Amino acid sequence: MSEYEPKIVSFLCNWCSYGAADLAGVSRFQYPDNFRVIRIPCTGRMSPKFFLSALREGADAVWVSG
Amino acid sequence: MTLSEVTSISGEAGNFEVEVLKKPRYVDMNKCIACGACVEKCPKKVDNDYNAGLNKRKAIYVEYDQAVPLKFAIDAENCIKLTKGKCGLCEKTCPTGAINYDDKPETVKLNVGSVVLAPGFKAFDPSVFDTYQYTKFPNVVTALEFERLLSASGPTLGHLVKQSKDHEEPKKVAFFQCIGSRDINRCDNGYCSSVCCMYAIKEAVIAKEHSGGDLDCAIFYMDMRTHGKDFERYYEKAKDDGVRFVRSRVHTINPVPETNDLEVRYVDDQGKIQTEVFNMIVLSVGLEIDGSTIELAKTLNIELTPGNFAQTGTFTPVQTSRKGIVASGAFLGPRDIPQSMVDASAAAGVAGEGLAPVRGTMLKEVQTTPERDVFGEAPRIGVFVCHCGINIGGVVDVPSVAEYAKTLPFVEYTADNMFSCSQDTQDKMTQIIKEQNLNRIVVAACTPKTHEPLFQETLMAAGLNKYMFEMVNIRNQDSWVHKESPEKATEKAMDLVRMGVAKVALQNPLAEAQLQVGQTAMIVGGGLSGMAAAETLALQGYETHIIEKSDRLGGNALKLYKTPKGEVIGDKVAELVESINSNDKIKVHLNTTIENVDGFVGNFKARLKENGEEAFLDHGIAVMATGGKAYTPDEYMYGNDPRVLTTLEMDEKMKSDDSLVKDADCAVFIQCVGSREPERPYCSRVCCTHSVDNALELKRRKPDMNVFILYRDIRTYGEKEYLYKEARDAGVIFVRYDLENKPKVSVDNGNLKIVVKDHVLNRDLEIEPDVISLATAIVPNTVNDLAQFYKLPMNDDGFFIEAHAKLGPSEFATDGVFLAGIAHYPKPIEEAIAQGKAAASRAITLLARKEIFTSGQVAKVDPVLCSSCGICVNVCPYSAPSFKTEGPFAGKAEINPVLCKGCGLCVASCRSGAIHHNGFDNDQIFSQIFAVNA
Repeated sequence: MSEYEPKIVSFLCNWCSYGAADLAGVSRFQYPDNFRVIRIPCTGRMSPKFFLSALREGADAVWVSG
Repeated sequence: MTLSEVTSISGEAGNFEVEVLKKPRYVDMNKCIACGACVEKCPKKVDNDYNAGLNKRKAIYVEYDQAVPLKFAIDAENCIKLTKGKCGLCEKTCPTGAINYDDKPETVKLNVGSVVLAPGFKAFDPSVFDTYQYTKFPNVVTALEFERLLSASGPTLGHLVKQSKDHEEPKKVAFFQCIGSRDINRCDNGYCSSVCCMYAIKEAVIAKEHSGGDLDCAIFYMDMRTHGKDFERYYEKAKDDGVRFVRSRVHTINPVPETNDLEVRYVDDQGKIQTEVFNMIVLSVGLEIDGSTIELAKTLNIELTPGNFAQTGTFTPVQTSRKGIVASGAFLGPRDIPQSMVDASAAAGVAGEGLAPVRGTMLKEVQTTPERDVFGEAPRIGVFVCHCGINIGGVVDVPSVAEYAKTLPFVEYTADNMFSCSQDTQDKMTQIIKEQNLNRIVVAACTPKTHEPLFQETLMAAGLNKYMFEMVNIRNQDSWVHKESPEKATEKAMDLVRMGVAKVALQNPLAEAQLQVGQTAMIVGGGLSGMAAAETLALQGYETHIIEKSDRLGGNALKLYKTPKGEVIGDKVAELVESINSNDKIKVHLNTTIENVDGFVGNFKARLKENGEEAFLDHGIAVMATGGKAYTPDEYMYGNDPRVLTTLEMDEKMKSDDSLVKDADCAVFIQCVGSREPERPYCSRVCCTHSVDNALELKRRKPDMNVFILYRDIRTYGEKEYLYKEARDAGVIFVRYDLENKPKVSVDNGNLKIVVKDHVLNRDLEIEPDVISLATAIVPNTVNDLAQFYKLPMNDDGFFIEAHAKLGPSEFATDGVFLAGIAHYPKPIEEAIAQGKAAASRAITLLARKEIFTSGQVAKVDPVLCSSCGICVNVCPYSAPSFKTEGPFAGKAEINPVLCKGCGLCVASCRSGAIHHNGFDNDQIFSQIFAVNA
């Protein structure tokens, strides 16, 4: 199990979390590469279908932040 | 112009010559791409001022990650090359050749009509206090240092640790208030710094959040001053959350031997000496004006107050003593963010009054390329992958990513660029788009947050609709954060490019709605803030209508006597009313109410009832200055005895020198009547100053009168604190009471009697006053109908809720509607006038554009699918959706693109799937999800 690497699809709000992820880069914080970001205009845009679809496509987790 | 200093201002309002000394940056701003390669190589470490010296930065630096402009600078005092002539590593490392050690200072002359001074403040330096041992013990820190320790971008990433060498988590933290404020013995800052009580509570609450609930935070204070909007609630909540509040000024700190802890000794409420051990002590340092600002004021010939703040008038709150020069922010007095924002807008508004005749005369037209119609074309996608020097290229295998992109559907062209944002690359991209007949573009580079607009311009220059674009973030969210794993970073870049290509393939050209802004302003309320707003709007050239329900202008100010500065309010109001009435741009509608409002930003239509007659008023913007009134008390025998007055009634009696006041030998003021109670859990902000000022006036008129003020906390914030001291010096007696133990008023043998428990003597005090003045709460006027017409939210207390508590105090989330005065929150005259001018100033930013282009990325209803359920209408925070009232789809929802902010809440909420989101449509987001895996 130690080699288990989860695949995460993350939906980040353009105005806060997406900007925060950019700042993490500016600060050169190093973190694992397990997630792929989809930029959304607001977490209000998040539809349950997006969660389900990401999981069906093989994601181990869905991360919504905003 | 950064790193610049004003050295002189000559001339007069309307025609100033400003001399600016531009200091060298040693980095060419046009070339620096803020990649940070220089910082990694720079060998010189320097204390990081931004983190209050708690960690180090390099001699080449950017002050903080969000700095604007995000360009590096060399600190000449510490740079080895500039001080010793050796090193030069940054020059060798810089991928764009931006370093210039030969940069020289330069003097620039500017010709301007108005000047705004916003020099800010500096935090008080507690090293001068040996009592607090700031320099001696590492665990005594300033609140600013503590703030940085709590910050996610601070030296410990928000993890709270002691500053002694053990770096353990503290278990007990003490905050000492009024360090460098309200103290004239040691540091000569007699004023209250206004913000420290609130920031100490905030820091205590956040510290508890970061460290877990068992962290003990104790705030040692004299008066708790939470007089801002919603601050009293925050204070009460902090108490509930376990923050301890100790009313005491600590006199001694002693180190606990063999530990890094500190023992404090203080006298508690009962007069007993207590000792308690803390791991950390936070000094809540006050605000003060920097010496260089005082020098600047001298150079500019600006008068200062005793506290070295800019001298202004109560009715001209941002105007300095020199015409044409206005001020904003902490230079006007210690203040918090919302007040600074109000002042800033007001200063801009007043500065603009003098510039109105020349508005728009120095503008240049932007050249545009006609847009190519790509309707019906199959996607032809161009993918440009950026090296960003070594920023991306040093980690991600950029040529492979570009090569990979070629294999993706609809991709017709790929290239890798060294710097995609450079002007020559932009020109090249424009050429390629045209030559290759591309109709959709992906740029894989830094981040859309900073560079999307730039690349969209490139698309427009090539004749493409600017929305046929997707930016893929392979720097900030890839190469910079996965430096140690280049292969995985490359793989991630390929994934992200694939997702971007999938999304852009489904993109259609978007149109931006255009809207004409009606050039007329309507102000609801003819009190001070409404009149102030009207004055600024009219002086800037806009036709302005004031709607006043009563038969005269002036509002509550008509009832007031004088300001603490001694200005007679009646006279000042008369002057203002006269200037309003004589301005032909302003039309005053007295005895007028608003019956209904239709429309939206730029195009409102109000139905009025003016003197009983129906009238209509088209307006582009509206200002809510609907004010408030004094709460009518039902305690302290008010209404049962004519000697018990409200503050406003007291003002009337003082104005007319009524015998009730003239013959009195003893007067008592009772504070917080109706305020800071469960029913009205807010501070009315103005009453402490007002009562203290009236008490002083009584003492001036009759020095041997016994004057008492019964209070809970005296909240004479800012330089109003001088009045409090003056009152104590004049012999006004202040007696504190608790909410649980309110004063009792009765009539005994025809005489008024008050019984109140004195905390110092710990016994009941009996007073027989001849007159009692009740500092009644301020309550907002009831304006539910207006709130409904413009769809404006109100809080539990009935005050309007502004767009943003800190950054947007004078406007609503609803576009085109602005807010001023007591309708926002209780406030004194100078703040009400400032906010009137601020609301006008914010409105002018809209009016001056005459027409607005909105984003193309908005929601759109497909009426065939709409089931008219109304969810979109209910959920939208901006009132963009409504039901069509006519046409073939009457009854179906439609979304006004002008009001839509493109958040997508309605799209996600629509149960019929009838709402499309331009630029973020369902199929586009699904296409990204499907493309996550290759």
